[in-house]
Amino acid sequence: MDVDRTIALITAAGIELTDRRRNDKGNGWSLSFANGASVEVGDDGSASATGKGAETVARLLNLPAAGGSS
Amino acid sequence: MNRSYGLALFSSTLVRFCSTLALCTAVSAPALADGAGGPPKGIDKIKTVVVIFAENRAFDNLYGHFPGADGIDQASKESLEQRDRDGSVLAELPPVWDGLTAKGVTPPVTQATTEHLPNGPFTVNDPKGFDVPLSTVTHDLWHRYYQNQMQIDGGKNDMFVAWADSGAMPMSNWDASKTAMWAVAQKYVLADHFFMGGFGGSFFNHQWLICACAPYYPNADKSPAKPSISVTDESGRALKIADNSPKSALDGIPKFVSDGNLTPDFYAVNTMQPPYQPSGNGPAPGGDPRYADPAKPTTLPPQTEPTIGDMLSLKRVSWAWYSGAWQYTLDHGNHEPIPNFQYHHQPFNYYANFAPGTEARREHIRDAGLGGASFIAAVDNGDLPQVSFYKPQGNLNEHSGYADIQAGDRHIADVISHLEKSPQWPHMLVVVTYDENGGIWDHVAPPKGDRWGPGTRIPAIIASPFAKHGYVDHTSYDTTSILRFITERFELPELHGIVVRDKAVAAHGEPPLGDLTGALDLN
Repeated sequence: MDVDRTIALITAAGIELTDRRRNDKGNGWSLSFANGASVEVGDDGSASATGKGAETVARLLNLPAAGGSS
Repeated sequence: MNRSYGLALFSSTLVRFCSTLALCTAVSAPALADGAGGPPKGIDKIKTVVVIFAENRAFDNLYGHFPGADGIDQASKESLEQRDRDGSVLAELPPVWDGLTAKGVTPPVTQATTEHLPNGPFTVNDPKGFDVPLSTVTHDLWHRYYQNQMQIDGGKNDMFVAWADSGAMPMSNWDASKTAMWAVAQKYVLADHFFMGGFGGSFFNHQWLICACAPYYPNADKSPAKPSISVTDESGRALKIADNSPKSALDGIPKFVSDGNLTPDFYAVNTMQPPYQPSGNGPAPGGDPRYADPAKPTTLPPQTEPTIGDMLSLKRVSWAWYSGAWQYTLDHGNHEPIPNFQYHHQPFNYYANFAPGTEARREHIRDAGLGGASFIAAVDNGDLPQVSFYKPQGNLNEHSGYADIQAGDRHIADVISHLEKSPQWPHMLVVVTYDENGGIWDHVAPPKGDRWGPGTRIPAIIASPFAKHGYVDHTSYDTTSILRFITERFELPELHGIVVRDKAVAAHGEPPLGDLTGALDLN
């Protein structure tokens, strides 16, 4: 899962991207969405969702559960 | 039609220092008394104003074939035909990236199904085409401040596809002629030259509805929001395109150097979260649970510009913002797909004057209940204040990506039917409009205004016992026209943004933006 694909899948569902930046470790991206979800997308293709809207975002990304990774 | 009788009360400099309403009002009172002219004759017959704010539809998207309206059939060849990023005419539309229907919709309309569409508008529920019903949730589209200006392309409206993230989707429209709100528009007034107050999305246009202003993030370059400062090209009205951006719209979604929420001079033009709960950003660790974490890059600091609410309170006019599922979300958290509360659709929750614990918040920000039940009860009981704003909850707001048109349309029509039976109806004005176009194409060039707007044309329906019946109003309006009406009716000090907008429109030689009285027969 790359960062552009992640953004496309989530924003297609009407959940606006509100912030996109490199993470503190420099090994991936930190994304924020208007529903309160935060998504970490690693350069290795891993992804995890946290925050208020995490469940919905996880479903859109086919992550196993909120807070999980793929 | 009286357009504007108040004088400019708040100079841009003054507003920055106008940190309390008391200071502002001290300045405003003499200015109002000196104002020339007066409100339109008969306007005082309207005693109750109700504004219903739906989501994300361009005029042509729903009412492009409304009889007597400036619709798709009136569009010029130039505005119908979309151009590529290099200015050439596209041979065909790109596919809708990831498909036309939202994830989980069955049967899906896949990306492959949308390939090779002719360059022009298409009707989503055309039985000979995709035949997707109005009850279907479809793919969302970028609806952002700079992209909207790039898509409008100086009024030619020929770059909606070029600067979209959804391929052909901006050229979609619906046959809405069987909807309940179409019938309401036929019964009362459909305004066919009503434009969104600001360029871009919901956050910004909700601010324009209540403040006619651009929110501001002081010292953003030294704040957690610093990486969210946009990088624009030399025009200042378009984003700087990244070197690795696909050259053609047929090849993929454009990329920009920095497509942030803030302008280079720190105005917030794309979605930021409210500083108070309910907010997409939770409280700071160990912080006040009523506040959002200010260290989050998307938390907007509390705003201090005067709003229409402040002006109404100043003149002791009763008013409220009714928010669908507000209390439910505070008590239980948000849930999707229902009610799918939208934090950034609650504009007063960004203002210090309505911070948690204030009397103003308790009095004016009201829970509309689930499905608008509490608001409808107030309608039925004749308990509405003089001015009400009603924001339907997420699944009833018609926004692409998470809501369908039919559910919201039926809900709003149901609210209208309650309003028509309300004890307050004989002296009521109802405005139903959309916050913005949702990234969807419209063929009419917006009036040239100021830096912030107006943007793309949106539908607006004006219902009232005093509305001209079965009438299409061609007067030029924008979202701030609602504020113009409220300001004139209740003799309020005029918000600074309205003054600036009026001057800018006049400077461009455009017709003045109306105050909605063109839709009424007040004699």
